[in-house]
Amino acid sequence: MNQAQPQAATLSDPGSRSTEFVAVQGGGETTSAASLLIAAYLMMWGLLFVFVFLSWRRQARVETRIAELEKAIAAGGGDGGAGQ
Amino acid sequence: MTGTKDKLFYALLAATAAIFAYLIAYIFLVTPLAQLQAGGLAQKIFYFHVPAAYAMYLCGGVCCISSALYLYSPTDARDAAARAGADCAVVFGAMVLGSGPLWAKKAWGVYWTWDPRLTTTLLSVLVFVSVVMLRAFAGNGEAERKFASALGVLGTVTLPIIHYAVVMWGGNHPTVITKTGGGLRHPAMSHALLVGFVAMTLLAGLLMWCRARLTLSLSRVARLEEQAIATGQIDY
Repeated sequence: MNQAQPQAATLSDPGSRSTEFVAVQGGGETTSAASLLIAAYLMMWGLLFVFVFLSWRRQARVETRIAELEKAIAAGGGDGGAGQ
Repeated sequence: MTGTKDKLFYALLAATAAIFAYLIAYIFLVTPLAQLQAGGLAQKIFYFHVPAAYAMYLCGGVCCISSALYLYSPTDARDAAARAGADCAVVFGAMVLGSGPLWAKKAWGVYWTWDPRLTTTLLSVLVFVSVVMLRAFAGNGEAERKFASALGVLGTVTLPIIHYAVVMWGGNHPTVITKTGGGLRHPAMSHALLVGFVAMTLLAGLLMWCRARLTLSLSRVARLEEQAIATGQIDY
């Protein structure tokens, strides 16, 4: 967070614009650890919730289909295996 | 589900929710920051990342054992367990492969490198993805089930390679969890990791239960459809 002010001052100074790019080894790391941490946790929980939601929705559809089929079989008098 | 199974399921669900609530609070409020070389604050990804990898092994193990049993003597329950194991292994594998690069960006400066452990993890997850895709798109016949079972067994064989990849081939990946006690130098770190393992075990159990139930329901639909077609109740 302390890096925000110097960075803003640098960006607002036209004289500090890059006029060339020079290859360096390594380079400075500027990615915030907090944003990476939050992104990782959101990604994991998001993935989990999507998986659970899709499973739940599919299970609901399958249960509906089972009920329809059992009803159709029972209506036709084919009660022999409907309850298996 | 029967009444007893319902009660057990909801008890497991409540226990899982409670332990995850405790774990998240503990990770963010109690565990100390690690050194900057390990990612600093981003190192807290570790407490979900490693248990998710362990859960992937667990689900892969269930897939392997159930697949082997299915190949020995096919039943719907064994097929459902094998399929559930593969499905959940993909989910936990995606968690590992999604969270790892975000941590690596801070600790190593890059999202991805072809480190032995990362590469073998990716390969294993892709094998489980192939099992899931095969079951989703190649039909539900006996031959497809057996082929997927064989692939499930083969996919699980790659899991120990992930674990020993660091030992055999080196690489950048941390090796803080060892047989001799590990490299977690604060009791709160060890506690958070232990709770993470318990939480992910419960979560893996719950997810596999749900997916196995779904697969059994799909098998039942297939049988009822055959019966309904045979008796002329529905046209296909």
